[in-house]
Amino acid sequence: MSLRKGSGPPRDNDSAYLLDVHRRAVPGRDTMRRYADADEVDLCIVGAGAGGSVLAQRLARRGWRIVILESGPFWDPDRDWVSDEAGQHKLYWTAPRVIGGGDPVELGKNNSGHGVGGSMVHYAGYAPRLHPSDFRTRTLDGVGADWPIAYEDLRDHYRRVEAELPVAGQDWPWGDPHSYPHAPHPISAAADRARRGALAAGIQTRVGPVAIPNGTFGNRPHCIYRGFCLQGCKVNAKASPLVTHLPDAIAHGVEVRADSHAVRVEVDGTGTRCTGVTYASGGTLHTQRAALVAVCGYAIETPRLLLNSAGPAWPEGLGNREDQVGRNVMVQGAPQVAGRFPEPLRQYKAPPPEICSEQFYETDPARGFARGFSIQTVGPLPIAWAEHVLADGHWGHALREYMRDYNHWTTLGALAELLPRPGNRVTLADELDDHGLPVARMDYTQGENDRANIAAAKATLECIWEAAGAQDTLTIDRYAHLVGGCRMGTDAATSVVDADHAVWGMANLLIADGSVLPTQGAANPALTIMALSSRLAERLAAGRVRPAPARTAAA
Amino acid sequence: MSGDAMDFARAEHLPNLREDGQPADPSGLPRQRQGITPQMHGRYPDYDVLAHADAWDEVTRERVVGRAGRVPVLRFFTAEEAAALRTLLDLALAQDAEPRIPVLEIVDSRLHEGRRDGFRYEDMPDDGQTWRAVAAAVDATARERGAASLLAADHPTRVGIVDDLAHGRLDDGPWSELNSARAWSVVMRGALSAFYSHPWAWNEIGFGGPAYPRGYMRLGAGPAGADPHEGAEAFSRDPVRDVPARGLE
Repeated sequence: MSLRKGSGPPRDNDSAYLLDVHRRAVPGRDTMRRYADADEVDLCIVGAGAGGSVLAQRLARRGWRIVILESGPFWDPDRDWVSDEAGQHKLYWTAPRVIGGGDPVELGKNNSGHGVGGSMVHYAGYAPRLHPSDFRTRTLDGVGADWPIAYEDLRDHYRRVEAELPVAGQDWPWGDPHSYPHAPHPISAAADRARRGALAAGIQTRVGPVAIPNGTFGNRPHCIYRGFCLQGCKVNAKASPLVTHLPDAIAHGVEVRADSHAVRVEVDGTGTRCTGVTYASGGTLHTQRAALVAVCGYAIETPRLLLNSAGPAWPEGLGNREDQVGRNVMVQGAPQVAGRFPEPLRQYKAPPPEICSEQFYETDPARGFARGFSIQTVGPLPIAWAEHVLADGHWGHALREYMRDYNHWTTLGALAELLPRPGNRVTLADELDDHGLPVARMDYTQGENDRANIAAAKATLECIWEAAGAQDTLTIDRYAHLVGGCRMGTDAATSVVDADHAVWGMANLLIADGSVLPTQGAANPALTIMALSSRLAERLAAGRVRPAPARTAAA
Repeated sequence: MSGDAMDFARAEHLPNLREDGQPADPSGLPRQRQGITPQMHGRYPDYDVLAHADAWDEVTRERVVGRAGRVPVLRFFTAEEAAALRTLLDLALAQDAEPRIPVLEIVDSRLHEGRRDGFRYEDMPDDGQTWRAVAAAVDATARERGAASLLAADHPTRVGIVDDLAHGRLDDGPWSELNSARAWSVVMRGALSAFYSHPWAWNEIGFGGPAYPRGYMRLGAGPAGADPHEGAEAFSRDPVRDVPARGLE
C-alpha cells in the first residue's frame, strides 16, 4: 500500500484529468448536455453538493440521463472568487432563516453552502471516516440511534472516495485502522506546536486526513499553502465536488442547471410517485419531469423542501406522515482554544487542517458521559480570529492588543459528538423568502451528555496548550457541521428514509445528503456523505433499490 | 509604557496577564513607517500589505485595493443613529484617532445593499433593525446616566455603557425589548468583519494578505520562518543591525 502512495488514479472517475491545467473553471460547461423540462429524465437531483454530485457522477457512467438543479451559481474560481476572507460570503446560504431553542445554532457562513460544489467548496478539507461504533451507538452505549447499515457497508466506498478526492495523511490508527492514498503534507510551525504539546500531554496525533493531493494527481495543481481553504480553493488543489466529481459527471452527460432554486417536489394523484421538481429560474417557475428524484439539499433545505411540498396526499409535508421530517437535526460542539507562544507562528499559513487526534473519540466510562470528541488544528484568518478574541470577552483596546498578537497564536479545535434529539428540528417559519416560500426555522437545545462532552473537549485542548508551555489561552464556544433532519432507519415511525435512502411511502423519492445521518460521530461529515451516495449509486445501478427508474440504460 | 511590556516574546502585554485586564497605552507602540495602520501604530512598522498587490490575482487585487480606497456615503442610517453608532464603534474598536477604518460606512453600505448573514434569532428583528435599535438604546442609556446622548457623554460614561453592553449587563429600560447580548453580537460581527477585512488592519497585525497565486514557501516559526514579503515584528529585530540591513545608513 505505502509503495503506491501518491500514484494511481481512481477507477471510474476522470475528473482530475478533465480539468484544465491553467484555468480553474470546469471544462465542458458550455457544451454540457441539456434536457428540456418536459423530457422525463431518469433522475433529477436537487443540490450539487457532496451527496448529489457523487450520485450523479456514478450513475451517469451507467448511462442514466440526469439533471442536477442547483440554487446557486456555477462557479468559475478564476473569475468569481477572491483570495480574501470577507469577499467570499457568496459561498454561503445567506437567504433568511430563523434560529431558536435553548442553544441556538448560528447558520450561514460556517455550515452552509450555495452554488455548484456545495459547502465542500469552503470546508476545511478534513476528510475522516466515521468509526464502526458510530453505526451502533444505541446498542453499544444506549444513546443516539443505530443505523440501518453498518460500517462495513461503507468501507469500500470510503476507500473509493478517498482515492478520488484524494486524501493525504499518515496511516490511521483509530476506528477501523487504514492508510491513505497520498502521503501527509508538511505541517506548519503553528500545527507543530500543537503536535508537540499533545505529545507532552500524552496524546497521540496524526497528520491528516486532508483532502488535498500531495503529489501528482491528474491536472490538479499542488497546494500552495496559502491558508484560504475556508474561502474556496482558487488553486483547485483542495477537493470539492466541483473538481472531484462534476467534471466527470458532465463528461458523461449530466446537466448541472445552476441558478435553479427548487421550490417543490411534484407528486402524482396516487400520492406515492413524484413526477418531477418545480424550480424557480430567471424569475419564472419551471418543472423538470423525472422518473426518480433525489433531494440532496442538506440538513436545512432538504427538510424545508419536503415540508414546502405538502399536498393533498401529504398535508403535513412530503414524507412527513409520521411527523419525522426535520427531527434529530444535529451539529457538533466545536469549541476552539488558542495558545500563545514567544515566537511568531503565523497560523494563517498552510491549510488549516493539518493534524488530528481521535484518541478521545469513543465512549470512556471513566469520563461519565457517552461518546466523545476529536481534536484538529484550525487556522483562523483575521476576522475569525477577531471573533475568537471577542468571544473571550475582549473589546476596545484589549481586543486590538490581542489582534496585534495574532502571529504568536496557534489554535486547536474540537469536534464533540452531540446526540440526536427529536425536539431539535427544522420546521417552517411564518417568514417568506424571495420566492414567496416559508423559510426554515431551526430549533436546537443541548442535552446534559452534550454539555459534558463539550466541557471535556475544552479541558483537553487547554491541557495540550498547558503541556506545550503556552503563555496565555483564549477560548471560543461554537458549533460546526449540520447533519440529520431526514434520518435513515428501519421503520417509518422513527425515520424519514430507509436503508436505501428511499422516503417511506414514496415509490421514487430519495434523499442523499447529510440529512440522512442518524448519528454524526466526531468526524467531519463530507467523506461520509460522499461514501453514502457512492453506496446508493452502486445499489441503484445494480437494480437493488426498490424504486429504480423504469428507463435505466444497460450498464 | 514600561520596557518589558514591549518585549513581545514575553506575554506581559496581554490583557489576561495584566492586573487591570487592560493593555498598555498603544501610543507606546511603534509608529507606522510604511503604509497605513488604524491610528498609525502597530507591531510591523515597515510592513505594507498593499505594496504586494502586484503579486495578487486581478480579481482579488481589484476587490482588496478598492476596499482600502473607498469610504462609502451613509445611506442606511439616519444622522442621529450614525452619531450614536460612530461613538459606539470607535470605542468598541479603540479607534480614538485618525486614520480610522470607516467601519460605520462599511456596515451602512452592507445593510443598505441588503447583504445578509443567513440567520436571525427568533427573538431578534433583522440585522438592520437591530442596528437601529442599538443606536436608540445606547442613546437612551446615556440619557439615563445624565448625558444628552452617547456622543455627548463624557469618556467614563461612554466606556461604562459599552462595557455593560459587552458583558450583557443591560436588560432593563431601553433594553427591555432587545436581547442586548445578541444585539452586541450582531453589532460586533458586522464591526469586526468590516475592520479586519481592511488592509490597514492587516498591516497592524502582520497578516500576510491574499497570497494568491504566490502562496508561501516557508511554514516555520520565528523570523526565519517568514517569507521575504511578510512583515517583521518591530521588536524581533536588533536595531543596531536593522539600520544597515534596510540600507538606511
